[in-house]
Amino acid sequence: MAALPDDVARVALELPLRANLTALDNIALIPLYQRHFTAGESVKQAQAMLEQLGYAGIAPLRDPDMTPAQRFVTQLARALILGRSRLVIDRPGAMLYDVSYPDFIRQLAEQTSSTGTWDIYDFSWNQILYSQALDPE
Amino acid sequence: MNFLVASIESLGAKVTGWFIVGYDIFAFLTQSLLLLLDRSTWNRATFDVVVKQVYFTAVQILPVFLGYVLVISWLIITIILTTARDFGLTGFASEMTIRVLVLELLPFLTALFIALRSGSAINTEVALMRVNNELDALEHCKVPPMQFEFLPRLIGGVVSVVTLAGLAGLLALLLSYLSIYGLSMAGFEAFTQIIAKIFNLNILFGLIAKCALFGLAVTLIPITAGLETPKKLFMVPVSVLRGMMRVFFAIVAIEVVSLALKYI
Repeated sequence: MAALPDDVARVALELPLRANLTALDNIALIPLYQRHFTAGESVKQAQAMLEQLGYAGIAPLRDPDMTPAQRFVTQLARALILGRSRLVIDRPGAMLYDVSYPDFIRQLAEQTSSTGTWDIYDFSWNQILYSQALDPE
Repeated sequence: MNFLVASIESLGAKVTGWFIVGYDIFAFLTQSLLLLLDRSTWNRATFDVVVKQVYFTAVQILPVFLGYVLVISWLIITIILTTARDFGLTGFASEMTIRVLVLELLPFLTALFIALRSGSAINTEVALMRVNNELDALEHCKVPPMQFEFLPRLIGGVVSVVTLAGLAGLLALLLSYLSIYGLSMAGFEAFTQIIAKIFNLNILFGLIAKCALFGLAVTLIPITAGLETPKKLFMVPVSVLRGMMRVFFAIVAIEVVSLALKYI
């Protein structure tokens, strides 16, 4: 994939979490290193992000201990805390193979206060999944 | 003829490979030193990771390390004392003990200890981070891997080897005094005079520099070896094998050069 502009946060299988850090630490890295908040404040912001997504309980888990959905939520929280105007979710089926992912992503999007745009890049043959999610009938 | 050409080609490829590895290590070291001088590097987050690294590399292993130093020192001191007595050279036993143990053997063994424990772990971790794209993910999030992952390990390695070798040296000095003079204070003046005679400024500076170089070797080489791992999981053990061989040769080279500078 070509390099993305700086205003894009990407969630993709190729951008995994740091395996030896907890979900909370993976997210807290961003305010800690980018915006130079203190460790305590960074952790607070990361915890708030997980709570907003409804996954506060996964904070102490490390990557190998997470389910695919929990891992995706952590990656999403890390992308959201970057505060970029555009979020790209790249081939979600590769990460969320244990849930009906169009519904799952929609629910998460509804729970966040993110003001940016969310784009999903997926294979054309998965288009039907999104239509089904939009039209439950 | 073909065999000769193939051999020359193979040798040339190996020599070129060594130069590339040497250049990569040197380039990485230069980059690290420049970053060290950059004020923005010294933020609270980097400092916290440095403290964690020193804890994992030096503090966590302290009981095992001190036990190991105690056994090795006691054995070497006993051998030196027995041999000195046999040859009627008891007067030189203290000096010989300090020179062999404190200046040479303990820093070397400390470096080997840290290399086997932390160097191999660093090499494996960096190789896995590269293979799993974790470094790319950090860069995407604008978290600098150099400040977050590598520089703290380098500083941690240097600080740990210098302090552990210093601690080992102090323990060996104490053990050496006790072995020669027992609990009596009678030999204290003579013993401290020998220490003062051996540890002039040049020797002291050389010892610290040698330990710092050992510390750099046991962290810098595994990091660069990890970073050059091809993105294939089965290459991780090969990367660790190469990295640890380089660390071993570097430690031996530093020791040989230090001995040559001191005694030749």
